[in-house]
Amino acid sequence: MSRPLLDISGLSKHFGGLRAVDGVSFHIQPREILGLLGPNGAGKTVCFNLISGVYKPTAGTIAFDGRRTDGLAPHVIAGLGIGRTFQIVKPFAQLTVLENVLAARGIHRYPHLSKVWSRWRTPAEKREALGLLERVGLAGLAGRRAGLLPLGNLRRLEIARALAVGSKLLLLDESFSGLRHEEIAQLEALIRAIRGDGLSVLLIEHNMRVAMGLCDRLVVLDHGRKLAEGRPAEVRADEAVVEAYLGRKGSAHAA
Amino acid sequence: MSGYLVTLATIIAINAIVASGLNVIVGFAGQISLGHAAFFGIGAYTAALLATQAGWTFWAALPCVIVLTAFVGLLLGIPSLRVREDFLAITTIGINFIVEAVFNNFEFFGGALGIGGIPRVAVFDLKLRGTEFLCLCLAFLAVVIALCGWLTRCWAGLACFALREEETAAASVGVSPVRFKLLAFVIGTAMAGLGGALYAHFMRFISAGDFAFPLSVSLLSMVVVGGIGTLWGPILGAILIGVLPEVFRPLIDYRILFYTTLLLLMIRFQPGGLLGENSAARRVLARILPGGRP
Repeated sequence: MSRPLLDISGLSKHFGGLRAVDGVSFHIQPREILGLLGPNGAGKTVCFNLISGVYKPTAGTIAFDGRRTDGLAPHVIAGLGIGRTFQIVKPFAQLTVLENVLAARGIHRYPHLSKVWSRWRTPAEKREALGLLERVGLAGLAGRRAGLLPLGNLRRLEIARALAVGSKLLLLDESFSGLRHEEIAQLEALIRAIRGDGLSVLLIEHNMRVAMGLCDRLVVLDHGRKLAEGRPAEVRADEAVVEAYLGRKGSAHAA
Repeated sequence: MSGYLVTLATIIAINAIVASGLNVIVGFAGQISLGHAAFFGIGAYTAALLATQAGWTFWAALPCVIVLTAFVGLLLGIPSLRVREDFLAITTIGINFIVEAVFNNFEFFGGALGIGGIPRVAVFDLKLRGTEFLCLCLAFLAVVIALCGWLTRCWAGLACFALREEETAAASVGVSPVRFKLLAFVIGTAMAGLGGALYAHFMRFISAGDFAFPLSVSLLSMVVVGGIGTLWGPILGAILIGVLPEVFRPLIDYRILFYTTLLLLMIRFQPGGLLGENSAARRVLARILPGGRP
């Protein structure tokens, strides 16, 4: 087996007494689509925030492309080639759709103070950004103010922005939620195409049909711990997973 | 032009320089500052001390004034990395009061008597007075506007806009919040330093009260009324805030009433400022200049 692109080992994040993520280990191979599943509050988004540097882990290690990244700042981690979206969308609302993507295209300039003084509105940059918008199907709205877009379009805009940053790994946090049926099919095709380009994708998803159909492997979290890991068919058959989602058979508290 | 009008225009030009600097911090990078008058004052006091104590010319002192003010701006910008929004506003107010108190109480800064006897600016042997000094201020204002315009077009500016809109998202696309917030503070306070140096050599007498908290509010009003985050907003704001008190002079007892009404009308009808997004002025401009973003 090749060296994993992202290797997470014994990862924990405690907020006071709350163990949001508690000793979780998993890895992602190059060109793999890995689904992170679990009931609400299982620690999925906290995991994302640990990987992308928004939080620093209480314990455990994260290695990306053979390099320790736990404890690095978010903008440094982004510079390594990890793009991400947000569960609660965070567009640059006053900027246009195109400018949102252009802002992300500055990723390799921002670390060098000498490189940030040139123009960003160049034809070449515009072409590249439009190409990314084309991929997510937003090219027609390039001149629109991002804050005016409906949720589904904002989710796609965040993917375009993440694509401008993430040359190796994309973290997609519930990108399918709020999308219509045909939009879901388009996004599934896009994620497969992204993998075809050689990227790995880690996605948080609540839509079981999507997660089962799209992901190569699934990792299921519950109460901050890893409950199960494996191919979709294995995970679906896992009793612990069924219990976490539906409750114990005959339990008075069953959902 | 009468001396009165020249004086008014000079003050407006200096205020426009300082307000443009504040706009870089507040409008471009989204870091609220209610202490900008402090940096205006640091620039003015540095220029005044270098001129009266060290005997430097305006031109020799100017680079030092700008660098020193920007350096203090860098130091005092550090709180913006830890506190946000309302808390940052209160912190910057605090900075304003501290700086004013230092000027007022330390003998080195002239204490309550201020600093007088600041010489006029000279170009070769010509001492600039009245209209000539106004032209100097307008030339510096042009440079400041050009710099601000450049900032909106370069990657550093785009990084600041991203920070203003969404800090977490900006970091996720590689924008270091620390670096670009401090960059905005340094550029904005450097412009305040320039304005301060001009002010000191224009008034030729300065005291701590000139740079008190109400001036910070006034500067922020210029930015907000004109159009926060726009290139020309702070200039329009400086003109309006400078001219209106003169126009309303006969109604001096009702001045606060006028201000308040103006402010309420702005909030209700032009929340982005007179030149802000979706403002009436901008819609008219867009009709005159089709396809262009004014």
